[in-house]
Amino acid sequence: MKTFSNKYIFVYVSVLVLVVAVLLTAVSLGLKPRQEANRKAEKAAQILRAAGYHDVDGSEAVALFEQVAQRASGDGERETYHIRCADGENGLVVYVNGKGLWGAIWGYVVLAEDLNTVKGIVFSHKSETPGLGANITEEKFSSAFVGKKLYDEKGNFVSVRVLKAGQGSDVPDVHRVDAISGATLTSKGVDAMLMESLPEVIAKLKTVNKK
Amino acid sequence: MKYLGPLAKDNPVLVQVLGVCSALAVTAQLKPAVVMALSVTVVCALSNLIISLMRSTIPPRIRIIVQLLVVSTLVIVVDQFLQAYLYEVSKMLSVFVGLIITNCIIMGRLEAFALSHGPLPSLIDGVMNGLGYGLVLVVVGTFRELFGTGTLWNFPVLPHSFYEAGYMNNGLMILPPMALILVGSLIWILNSAKKSVK
Amino acid sequence: MNGLFDIFVRSVFIDNMVFAYFLGMCSYLAVSKSVKTAFGLGVAVSFVLAVTVPVNYLIDKYLLKEGALAWLNESWGALDLSFLSLIVFIAVIAGIVQLLEMVIERFSPALYQALGIFLPLIAVNCAILGGSLFMQEKNFPTVAHSFSYALGSGLGWLLAIVAFAAIRERLRYSDIPKPLQGNGIAYIITGLLGLGFMAFLGI
Repeated sequence: MKTFSNKYIFVYVSVLVLVVAVLLTAVSLGLKPRQEANRKAEKAAQILRAAGYHDVDGSEAVALFEQVAQRASGDGERETYHIRCADGENGLVVYVNGKGLWGAIWGYVVLAEDLNTVKGIVFSHKSETPGLGANITEEKFSSAFVGKKLYDEKGNFVSVRVLKAGQGSDVPDVHRVDAISGATLTSKGVDAMLMESLPEVIAKLKTVNKK
Repeated sequence: MKYLGPLAKDNPVLVQVLGVCSALAVTAQLKPAVVMALSVTVVCALSNLIISLMRSTIPPRIRIIVQLLVVSTLVIVVDQFLQAYLYEVSKMLSVFVGLIITNCIIMGRLEAFALSHGPLPSLIDGVMNGLGYGLVLVVVGTFRELFGTGTLWNFPVLPHSFYEAGYMNNGLMILPPMALILVGSLIWILNSAKKSVK
Repeated sequence: MNGLFDIFVRSVFIDNMVFAYFLGMCSYLAVSKSVKTAFGLGVAVSFVLAVTVPVNYLIDKYLLKEGALAWLNESWGALDLSFLSLIVFIAVIAGIVQLLEMVIERFSPALYQALGIFLPLIAVNCAILGGSLFMQEKNFPTVAHSFSYALGSGLGWLLAIVAFAAIRERLRYSDIPKPLQGNGIAYIITGLLGLGFMAFLGI
């Protein structure tokens, strides 16, 4: 076996680290635009889906989004948008987030201009159980929210509750959707997320509207 | 034939018990399992090749560090590519791509094979071990998705008449512990088969 | 949900490293022949996790994350070095393990006797790197949160390996079909243990 001097080892490692650093920086910089485009397209496609535009993806989604949506307030993920929905009516997009069973869950809610009626909704999640909790992303679950109201006649916030059949029988139909069977904790997470996030965002929107 | 061992007889997961860590968590569905299998194969093959090419220049005292450096660089590159070109899947894999670094198969093959063999055999050895590992992931992924959600690659494959006849998806399959039980069963089958060949 | 204690309990029972994420399986299977060694390795893993995760948390927060360098210089705020996090984390872990080994040997020979042989094994244990990566993904608000997460995960791992080793000690006396002996039954037991742990999901 050959022996190596300390100097050799030192130079060897330095060169190696340098090569690695240059390579990684190049790869990262080279792929960054694509990664960011992916993220942007995903967000746009999600919001569009909530607003009733289906089957738009990638750069198409970004283009359509820029056409129909306009920033209303906030920044980063907290941005709210004015959007012209697929049915021609105007709506407001708000972002909600919370915790599911395994990790974060979030979603975009499209509200009608009265800031009460839900026009559409999409959910997304980090790591819910596939086939159970992960089903919150599916049309079957999210379409149940359409047309539901957030406030009762007296103007009190009740949110749209996600409840099992038979649970909370005092909550009228207009304020509830059925939980996903077998995914109790994820459903509870969605329920809590809407309950906690919405009042705050809507209050903010109302002050913006007054200005 | 000499190189085919890792696919079955010397399968790194089933026989050598290497690299089970992390990776089983991505087998709830077939698609992430396949992507994970390919990523591991790529990293395993390339790191084997690179280390083999460098083997006469690496000072033995720091070889583990050099290996770690090469492997983590490759993993980061793979991760970046996944995020750019297979965004959906990369979200499902999340931290498990990063955990390829500590996958014992890769370090194990570098130590046991690449340091003492030429570039071409090392490359083949890496590919075969990666594939043998991937095979297990894909088999487990297929079972779990088929019985757990009744789909494969997200397409429904079970006919409606099944469900009408009272068939239900087995939610248990999707839960993490089932992956382990499936691997255990695979080992059982493989061992039985090996014995009957002898 | 944000309390330190919640994170701790959650990471011990629900997000258990072994049963939910299959982390650290290699050493888990290899070192679980007797309860005593299993306990030693478990303590070592908890210890290293509890040290490396908070350190990596600080590094991530103040050096790597997008905009993290802003505290040094305004114009560096746009830098995003998160693609380097993998390589940095693994280097930090390897370094800290090495350091711990020396420190323990110097100051507590008794502890070194108990943990020493496990420490080198740990540097390449996926549970350790996994701990840091999950910490990054979970985006904890403070170091204390990351510490409580690390400690919980470590103890969860300890619990898993000790329970498993105890079962394995009994297993020697039971009649298992030949082809299933050894690793086959080990996987299946882990799976069954995991199913048991699923019961904690409701907490």
